[in-house]
Amino acid sequence: MARDEFEAERTTYNFVGTRPDRPDGIDKVTGRARFGADMTAPGMLHAVILRSPHAHAKIVKIDTSKAEAAPGVKAIVTRADFADGLDGENWNILENVMAGDTALYDGHAVCALAATSMLEARDAAKLVEIEYERIPHVTDVDKAMAPGAPVIREGADDGSVPAGMHPNVVRYHESGHGDVEAGFAKADLVLEETFKTEATHQGYIEPHACLGHMGTDGKGELWCCTQGHWNVQKVCAALLGTETSALRVTASEIGGGFGGKTAVFIEPVALALSRKANRPVKLVMPRADVFRATGPTSPASMDIKIGMTKDGTITAAKGVFRLSGGAFPEAPMEFSAMCAFACYDLENVLQMGYDVMSNRPKQAAYRAPGAPMAAFAVESVLDEMCNQLGLDPLEVRLKNAAKTGSKASYGPRFDQIGLVETLEAAINHPHYKAPLAEGQGRGVACGFWFNHGGETSVSLMLSEDGTAQIAVGTPDIGGSRASMALMAAEVLGIPYENIRCVIADTSSLGYNEISHGSRVTYASGLATIKAAKDAVNRMCQRAAAKWGIDPDAVYWEDGYAKPSGPNAGEFDPMHITEITANMGATGGPINGHFEATPEGAGVSFGTHIVDAEVDPETGHTKILRYTVVQDAGKAVHPTYVEGQYQGGAVQGIGWALNEEYIYGEDGSLQNALFLDYRVPVASDLPMIDTVIVEVPNPGHPFGVRGVGETGIVPPLAAIANAVSNAAGVRMRQLPASPPRILAALKDRDAG
Amino acid sequence: MIPAGFEYHRPADVASALAILTTHGDEARVIAGGHSLIPMMKLRMAEMGHLVDLQDITELKGISVDGDTITIGAMTTQHELITSDALAEAAPIIREAALVIADPQVRYMGTIGGNVANGDPGNDMPGLMQCLDATYILVGPDGMRPVAAREFYEAAYFTAREDEEILTQISIPRPAPGTGYAYEKQKRKIGDYATAASGVMLTVAGGTCTSASIAMTNLADTPIWAEAAGAALVGSDLGEDAITAAIAAAKDAIDPVADNRGPVEFKMHVAGVILRRAIDRAIARAG
Ligand SMILES: Cc1cc2nc3c(=O)[nH]c(=O)nc-3n(C[C@H](O)[C@H](O)[C@H](O)COP(=O)(O)OP(=O)(O)OC[C@H]3O[C@@H](n4cnc5c(N)ncnc54)[C@H](O)[C@@H]3O)c2cc1C
Repeated sequence: MARDEFEAERTTYNFVGTRPDRPDGIDKVTGRARFGADMTAPGMLHAVILRSPHAHAKIVKIDTSKAEAAPGVKAIVTRADFADGLDGENWNILENVMAGDTALYDGHAVCALAATSMLEARDAAKLVEIEYERIPHVTDVDKAMAPGAPVIREGADDGSVPAGMHPNVVRYHESGHGDVEAGFAKADLVLEETFKTEATHQGYIEPHACLGHMGTDGKGELWCCTQGHWNVQKVCAALLGTETSALRVTASEIGGGFGGKTAVFIEPVALALSRKANRPVKLVMPRADVFRATGPTSPASMDIKIGMTKDGTITAAKGVFRLSGGAFPEAPMEFSAMCAFACYDLENVLQMGYDVMSNRPKQAAYRAPGAPMAAFAVESVLDEMCNQLGLDPLEVRLKNAAKTGSKASYGPRFDQIGLVETLEAAINHPHYKAPLAEGQGRGVACGFWFNHGGETSVSLMLSEDGTAQIAVGTPDIGGSRASMALMAAEVLGIPYENIRCVIADTSSLGYNEISHGSRVTYASGLATIKAAKDAVNRMCQRAAAKWGIDPDAVYWEDGYAKPSGPNAGEFDPMHITEITANMGATGGPINGHFEATPEGAGVSFGTHIVDAEVDPETGHTKILRYTVVQDAGKAVHPTYVEGQYQGGAVQGIGWALNEEYIYGEDGSLQNALFLDYRVPVASDLPMIDTVIVEVPNPGHPFGVRGVGETGIVPPLAAIANAVSNAAGVRMRQLPASPPRILAALKDRDAG
Repeated sequence: MIPAGFEYHRPADVASALAILTTHGDEARVIAGGHSLIPMMKLRMAEMGHLVDLQDITELKGISVDGDTITIGAMTTQHELITSDALAEAAPIIREAALVIADPQVRYMGTIGGNVANGDPGNDMPGLMQCLDATYILVGPDGMRPVAAREFYEAAYFTAREDEEILTQISIPRPAPGTGYAYEKQKRKIGDYATAASGVMLTVAGGTCTSASIAMTNLADTPIWAEAAGAALVGSDLGEDAITAAIAAAKDAIDPVADNRGPVEFKMHVAGVILRRAIDRAIARAG
């Protein structure tokens, strides 16, 4: 095809940027959409997982004899029923999926059983006798790395940790450039503060659920709600000791994931039970188990030191980030460290991270893992410095903002980026100039996230009526089916409604990395565009053959093959339906395909403004107004982009004000239910305003940047700043709950 | 979470419901809106062999204001309390309190009878009913008996109601015209039970408080009708001294425990703040 790269120059679109109805809307409101727990199979068993009531305990004995004899029980599994000899992350996942000789946190799976009905399974579970020997535990990240803290796993250090640290510190990160001490010496004001955030849960409404069927031959089928079924396939095969391709995994419709469904928790258990019973096994997690045993974020403890001149120039910045990923080595402390100062063009910057083990569940990703806490700490210090120096907080951010070509705090040079544009849009937004009343405060903050490309395959199949199906491998967690259809419509020149995008199972498409890292609209989108172009090429070839001219002399426009000019010959444009109607006779089915690991994801920045009112007598905070400004590169379906921005702000409001994991003295989780783990609902919130900035990403044919994660990076900071400015006292610990705000006010008044 | 197995009954009148309760004794339990009971069944904190659904019993529904008495059928939903014009006119504090219960979804299902019979100290209606000096009508195998809301609550989930009795009606003396009122509630967020809540009714004549009733919610293992707090206002000019005395008396009467909503000291503090606000608003509304 002659004009292969025509999209690269494209600035006007017919479909991209419009707001058609979502393709999954009717399915979801009519109940036709099938979620994890909606699948059944003939002869299906129901499973229950027994979990440790202790934060840290040796498992002395598991006696299943009474349960085995109970009515309806068909299989019981413990760690012995999974593969041994695993290492690395697979071993860690198995250790979390089913405890070995030690229960490592309250809620750790210890044993599972399957029976013919849910009631029988629950009754039988009570008959399993598990003898524990409690050992000392630690759940607080700072206490876990203090001298004398109980050791979670001896020798887990990966070799990066500086000498003399507690064995619970298992990984260390350091990055930066310049000379921070020299930078601090040049500053007019140097501020150093310590911050803490608690673990939060992604709070998806749909609990983890799956239906697995595996035979004794190791071949199996799995239906589950996940953000990445190829990953589930790979991990389950490893944990069960079977070949990857022996297991076919189909992703269900997903009722929220936010990163939490990138991990594997229950699927290998259902399969192990199924293999033992030779029956399909359904496993649905009760809500309390979701809280106790699926990924919360890491709690964080952070020290930030920043130097600034009187005019607001940052001379140096330093941060230390201590995060705990639970009883496993994987807290995203390097992401905290690398994102912390990424919004600023700094001469001198140094960041360090410590990954600390504690008796908590294995952390899982939650939108921009590690970044929101770091932004809270850094942006709070900046806010305080602006207050002390009498400077406008957005102007100071603009003055120091990273730009195209700036050396990022974590190393590389930025390609085309849009932080300055978001700051300018925020400064010029009426919200920023709106008056505030007594007792109200305004907070602003910026945020950064890397975004990701990742392994991707997409196929596009044309039907004889000229409509198209797209098979992608990235579960739709934010409206990506609509975006894929819009991008394909743009290339094919056929209506959006004529394109159906489905999430293919692991046996019908090549490998696809998880839907994470804000990668889907970018990477699956890029692959969809290329697959559509591939199909267009083939259609141009068919037209060329019919016309008897060179395929290079045919181009594609708005759904038609056209001869490229008078030299190519005089032919009437040939519509897609003409080509597909006869495709069987003219060379066979026409499909397009693309696979790659695209590298040009394009980093993303946002700036948030929030107004809050604090009741100084009760410590209660009300969010009055909220504006999100973020660079989307190119908003393919603006409504979904706005939804991502709003969702990020809302989840950030929960994290900043209400949500936290509360552990008792005994190390057990005190609030494992939505009644006591309070996520904000619509009636708690003002309308969240959004502004979409579009600075194209050169790494995507239409300029797309992922938008799913950056939106949760600034809110903790912006809200903490608003609350601090309203209450007149700096909140250094989140959530800023009423008791904490009152305590801070009391401390301030006591001097 | 799924509840244990049970038999489901759906009688059409009170007599049939009573017959089922009498047959099965403490093995049976009535269900109204189910928004307290079903969560407890799912948590297996409540297990029963027989569930007696009251939703088809029309005689348990409805609101009437008749002379000096307001009568509310046990199966009246919280949503119906909010939308009743008659009630808004006769005792607007009921709408004010119902509006801060849970969220609209819960209020469409949850009933006033279930709310007051439940015995959960977190429920808002029991304190309000004490504030209003309501009487509950209980019907059992031995007939009907009235019990004052102020006498009904014994401990968390323990009330004066016998297992075989059904709460059929609530009867409330209509507040005198010009009664000042307020129901004030602090909660973590929409849809939550109170961190602290307080209901206040008072009357003022010639600058002097002539009657006052104060109740506190979720600050002890039962709702607390703080008689001494009301008494501290009566006869006063409702000035700072009287209000401070009332708050001190109310704080004496409550006994909050530390939980996920905060430590005891915090709850005591918030109880004082919201009671002061409720008193202030009630005074402003008294005419
Ligand atoms: C998310 C959520 C938040 C909530 N927040 C609040 C809140 O802020 N404030 C608040 O007050 N409540 C709150 N509730 C509780 C809600 O108001 C319930 O609906 C109410 O407490 C019980 O009413 P019900 O009709 O649902 O009773 P059910 O749940 O059906 O019954 C509750 C109990 O009362 C008994 N019972 C019911 N009716 C009768 C009767 N006529 N005679 C004898 N016994 C009877 C039942 O046997 C049972 O033991 C909340 C509930 C939820 C789910």
